[in-house]
Parts: sequence; structure tokens; C-alpha cells
Amino acid sequence: MTRILVVEDDPSLRRLYKNELEAEGYIITVAENGRQALAQVSRETPDLVIMDIRMPEMDGLNAMVEILQRHHKVPVILNTAYSCYMDDFLAWAADGYVIKSSDLEPLKSKIREVLASRSADQAPSG
Amino acid sequence: MSTGKRRPQDALPGTSAEHRLAELAILYEVGRALQRTVSQRKALHIILVGVTAGPGLGFNRAFILLVDEKENALKGRLAIGPESPEAASVIWTRLQQQDLGELLEALDESKIGLDRRVNEIVSQFRIALDSDHPLVRIMRSHEVSRAERHVFVPHGYPVDSRTCELLGGTEFAVAPLFRAQRDLGLLIADNAITRKPIDTASMRMLQIFAQEASAAIENTQLYQQLREQIALQEKTNEALRSNQERLLRAERLSTMGKMAALLAHEIRTPLVSIGGFARRLLRSCPPDDPRHEEMEIIVSEVARLERLVMEVLGYSKMAKPAAAACDVNALVDSVINNMQEEIQRNRVTVRLELAPDLPPAVLDEAQVRQALMNLVNNALDAMPSGGTLTVTSRADGEFLEIGVQDTGTGILQEYWDKLFTPFFTTKSSGTGLGLVIVSQVVDNHQGSLRFDSRPGQGTCFYLRFPFNPASESCQP
Repeated sequence: MTRILVVEDDPSLRRLYKNELEAEGYIITVAENGRQALAQVSRETPDLVIMDIRMPEMDGLNAMVEILQRHHKVPVILNTAYSCYMDDFLAWAADGYVIKSSDLEPLKSKIREVLASRSADQAPSG
Repeated sequence: MSTGKRRPQDALPGTSAEHRLAELAILYEVGRALQRTVSQRKALHIILVGVTAGPGLGFNRAFILLVDEKENALKGRLAIGPESPEAASVIWTRLQQQDLGELLEALDESKIGLDRRVNEIVSQFRIALDSDHPLVRIMRSHEVSRAERHVFVPHGYPVDSRTCELLGGTEFAVAPLFRAQRDLGLLIADNAITRKPIDTASMRMLQIFAQEASAAIENTQLYQQLREQIALQEKTNEALRSNQERLLRAERLSTMGKMAALLAHEIRTPLVSIGGFARRLLRSCPPDDPRHEEMEIIVSEVARLERLVMEVLGYSKMAKPAAAACDVNALVDSVINNMQEEIQRNRVTVRLELAPDLPPAVLDEAQVRQALMNLVNNALDAMPSGGTLTVTSRADGEFLEIGVQDTGTGILQEYWDKLFTPFFTTKSSGTGLGLVIVSQVVDNHQGSLRFDSRPGQGTCFYLRFPFNPASESCQP
């Protein structure tokens, strides 16, 4: 089973993403900010992180950088209301950039795409 | 030349004391006239009239040369003097009949410089200031001098043959024009008509005259400089004012953009929640449930709000075009394909007139796509009950031109200058940003935008982009 960590400060959206993605068959854990996410990635070693950018405590870009420095294998999808971060070169390190929409299909298809490319990468070695 | 030997004034009875009085009167009139004029040409003329008017001073001809600082030369500017003894006697008779003050008062600029012969002579004087020409040396000495038998007295410089040739004589008086240490020019006077010798008294009067003339010339020069500076100042002020207005406008736009972006972002997160949960509920609701349709309404209305937010955010962030070579015809095709649904809903026929061999254009595809979408959207909105949408592309020299034409309602002329103002809209549902974004995209590409609209017949917008914009065009 694929485990996904959803990092999102808005409680309603946390609930929406958890419910919607669990319905897709993923195991979902949630974190409220970048700092929590950092601790949870170490503890839970998820297969994928979905990261909001604007959050209190530690923003998503910095959290992503720290996560990638420690666990450089875990893919990260940035999921944000802002398109401006697309120009931020830190954002280039992410595996995907999705702009939040009430239609979750773009996010879901990006998740499938990232997971598929990861498993394809790992296929030759194991 | 028998009449030339007699000056008309010589016929007048008079003593040297009367002459002196007449000279002072002339000096007085000339001084008064000079005080009233700010035109340099008029001042020069008054000086020349004074030098040639009097019974005592009364030179036949007078010439003014002025320092031209830009050309670093002493240049002839204006002269006065009759062509012949006959003309001289006419002028001098008239001078005696008319009061000099009145004459100067009535002076009209168009009457200046009409003595053709002497003005031809004076215009040929052009002496480099860094030469050791005797006239330059006399000017710098600030002392009057008299050319007499090929020598300047008292300076002792030889008289150059060119000056003698120009003046047509070897005897003439030279008075430097100067103020403090500043050399202004020379006043040259002679008696080429009467051949009367130039005496010491005349030289002294000429010197006094030259002083008066120098003050007047300096005044008119200062006045001229002042006017130029005022004009420059006014131009600078004007530029400053218009810059300030532009700046204010830009600031207002940027504030509006920032506020719009802030608001849009704040709205976006709750919209995702509302719409996301509504979609969940909708999926779990059987289609025959009466609530199904109501949930659909929530979902589609939220989707509409999200599109509006996107449009606002698109406007506030669009600054940095990422330019790449682009097949514009393919872009037009793809825009039209993506909008098929709206096009069919409005029962609009699409006609594409795309130039077959259009070279690729260097532009930001995403931005131009957005601009085209906005124009097509507007065109569709203008044709609520169907019509024809014509999209054209063509190369015009260095420029690419894309036209988007509808057969719709047209734009009322009273709205023309408001079209590109943010948040201005005539539609019942619109952000008023569509054309603002179009014009922003055009600006970003150093392009231009024009439109042609006839009420009842339709509107056509033309986008013009350089095929290969200058590199700075792709900067924010």
C-alpha cells in the first residue's frame, strides 16, 4: 500500500485530501506545517509527500529542501494556491507542482504520474 | 560723385557745441530705446542707427560683429548704411525731418537688415577667436582703434587686406564691445560715402556708444538665456508632471493588482474546500436524488469562481515572458480546439485565415495563448445568438499580426478609452481584466494592440508582435 503524507495547514483541506485520497486507495497521514512534516517523514518514511507551500512555522519549500537533504529518495508534490512559486528555483526540486482546485483530478493524476515514474526508476534495481 | 563730397548735415548751420548737444540727444534717445527692447536684433539696429544718425558722430556706415561662443568666432551680424551717395542723401534728409526717438519707437523688426550691400559685407566677416587677427586683438584690448593708411592707431597692428577689401576702404574706426572681462564683439564704422576723415571727437563718441551698446547686447543676451532656461524649465516640469502621472497610475495599478492577488488567494483555499466537498457529496448522491442537481449547481458555481480567481491571479503575476520560438498557427488552432465547447454553445462558426508560410515567432506561448483566449472569449460574449468568429494570422515585415474578429454587437465608442482599465466591464459576469491582460501580454512582447469596432457589425482586435523581439523585451 502506498503511504502518502499530506502537509496542509487548513483543517478543512486536510480532511478533504485525506478522504479523497483514501478513497483512491492510499494510506494517508497528515501534518499541519513544515516542521511537523519533517518529523513525520523521518518516523513514517512515506512513499510520497504532498506539500502545501504557505504554512506557519516552516513553509513548504524549506520543509521540502530539508526533507530532500535527509531522505533524497522521497518524491514531493507541491500543492499550492499560488502559481508564483513556480518561478522559485527551489520549487524546481519538486516532482510536481499542482495549483489547488476544487477539482482534485489534477492532483490525483499527478500523484499517479509521480508514483509510476518512481516505480519505473526503481524497477531495474529491484 | 560730386554730391558724395558733401554731407547733408554739413549744410546745417552749427557749432561744435551744437553738435555735441545733438550727439548727447542721440545718445539719450538710443539709450532709452535700448532699455525698452529685449530683442537682440532690434537692439543691434538701434545701436547702428545711433552710430549713423548724428550730425556730429554721424558715421556713414556701421557694422556689428559679435562673438559666437559655439563657433568660437567673431561673426558679422548686422550693418546699416546707404548703397550710394544718392541713397545716403535721401536717408539723411529723412533723418533730419523725423525725430530720432519717434523713428526708434516706430521701429519694426521687418525693416531691420534691409540695407542689402552692407549686410552682404557684414555677413562675410568670420574671424576665428584663437587667431591673432588684428580685429580680435583690438577686441581683446578693449581700446578703440582707427585704421589709417594700413595701420591701426594707436595699436600699431597692420590692417589686414581682407578687411579693407570687404569694407572697400582703408579708413575706418573699430570699437570693442565688452562687459567687465567678457568680450562681446566689435563695432566698426566708416565714412565710405562722404570720405570724411574720422576725427578724435568721433572716436571718443564711438567709444561711449560702444559702452552703451555693450550693456544693451549683454542685456538682450541675458534675456535670451533666461528665456531659454525658462523654456527648458517648463519642458522639464512638463516631463516631470507626466512622469508623475504615469507613476501614480502604475502605482495604482500595482496596488490594485496586489490587492486583487491577496484577495484571490484568500478566497481560493475555502473555494477548494467548498467545491471539493461538494464534489464528494455529489459523487455519493444517486443521480435520481432531487439533491443531485442542487449539488451540481454548487460544484459548477465554485468552478466558475475558481476561474475568476485564476484570471485575477493571471493578471497580477504576468510579468516575465519566457520567450521561445513558437508556431503561431498551431497555437491558434489549439486555442480554438480548447474552446470548442463555448464556441458550440454560442452557435458560432469559426473561420481560420492563417498565413500558410508563417515563420515561427519568439514569444511566451502561455501568455499569448491567454491573450488569444481572452479575445476569443470576448468575441463569443459579443455574439450571444451566434455569428462568425474569424481568426487571421499574417506576417507584415518584421511583425506578426493576429486578428480576432467577431460579427457581434460591437463596442460603443463611449467605452473605447476605458477598455483597458482594470475592472472595467460591460458584461454581467466578467472580471474586467480580460483586455487588461491582453494589453499586458502585448506590452511584455514589445508589441502593439489595436481594434476596430462598429456597433451592430462587430469588432476586430489585432495583436502585433515582433517576430524576433529585442532581447530586453523578455525582461520583466
